[in-house]
Amino acid sequence: MREILTDKQGNAATPVSRRQVLKAGTISAAVGALASALPASAVVRYSGDLAILNVALGLEHQAIAAYDAGARSKLLSADQVKIAISFQSDHKRHRDALIHFIRRFGGTPVDAKPTYDFGTITSASDIVKLAQSLEQGAEGAYLANAGKLENREILNAAVPILEDEVRHNTVFKQLLGMDVIERLKY
Amino acid sequence: MKTETNRNPQPGGPNNEARNRATARRNWIRLAGTASAGAVLYLLTGNPKRLYAQSRDGDLGILTAALYLENEAITAYQAGAESKLLSPGVLKVAVAFQSDHKYHRDGIGGVLQSFGVTPAGPEKKYDFGRLHSETDILRLARDREHGAVQAYATLASNILTKPVLNFGANVLADEVRHLTILNSVLGVANY
Repeated sequence: MREILTDKQGNAATPVSRRQVLKAGTISAAVGALASALPASAVVRYSGDLAILNVALGLEHQAIAAYDAGARSKLLSADQVKIAISFQSDHKRHRDALIHFIRRFGGTPVDAKPTYDFGTITSASDIVKLAQSLEQGAEGAYLANAGKLENREILNAAVPILEDEVRHNTVFKQLLGMDVIERLKY
Repeated sequence: MKTETNRNPQPGGPNNEARNRATARRNWIRLAGTASAGAVLYLLTGNPKRLYAQSRDGDLGILTAALYLENEAITAYQAGAESKLLSPGVLKVAVAFQSDHKYHRDGIGGVLQSFGVTPAGPEKKYDFGRLHSETDILRLARDREHGAVQAYATLASNILTKPVLNFGANVLADEVRHLTILNSVLGVANY
């Protein structure tokens, strides 16, 4: 299950976001040209930022669903349930903030998928591994895209989200006995 | 406590995190190299005058503040290591985290130098209070990391030059990781 999820995440988080950013970049001139001809409500501003935010929003939807799946499984200990509820609450806050900014700048927020394939979950460890994998993907996505954001308010909103993702990822890595001491290269 | 500062790290293994950070790292190394100030300015914006107008005062001020925090953190970990109060496991963590702060310091210092600004060294003396136990040192480190997280979170979104922002985001991630681990060691919930 983990391998499938990692592949899915790897292919969904960074490369898709890059494609979307590139796409947004190529259409930004057209958006600018159209802006003066359209009613104010139809003007999309910061289209590159919105493409990034929508990718991030997709990851938040996925994370919220994953924590739901974990809670429903009845496999988690009481302490693990506490962590899951707290972290899911963070992701719901992120989701709402992202939707707010996407709408505010004229974009359309992506919806959650009707279902997500999280593979077969048969133990608490499976759930923790799934959550860690998703949190790591989210951390990487925010880090890769932070410097691409043009709007300062959006960037301001993204910074505490990044903080949450790093905290979540570190907590799960500790639970899984993974190395958290060595700095990742950058 | 001896730690080696890795000024020229190699890319990590084939995992997503390493790949995601690779672009920021490349940009940072280009920026933090020994290129002339003019070349760096052109690299960043293609327009040296614009960069100076927009970001020289602001970003350099932020980098100077960040450098102060890094120097303070390095000294705090040094004080902890030299106290002989740390168990081997905690000492290992302290050495690793101090190494991270040295990496941050060197990166920030490199940018300041490329802008023609001489990076400040540490203060002659810091008041870390009384350190009588491992817990005292862990709390000192945790408080410094917490302060750094808050500072970077506030400063990061005011940075105008993209490579500096990319680096700052990665530094922030390091500080959050440190804070989370130190909270765990101290028995403070991270959720």
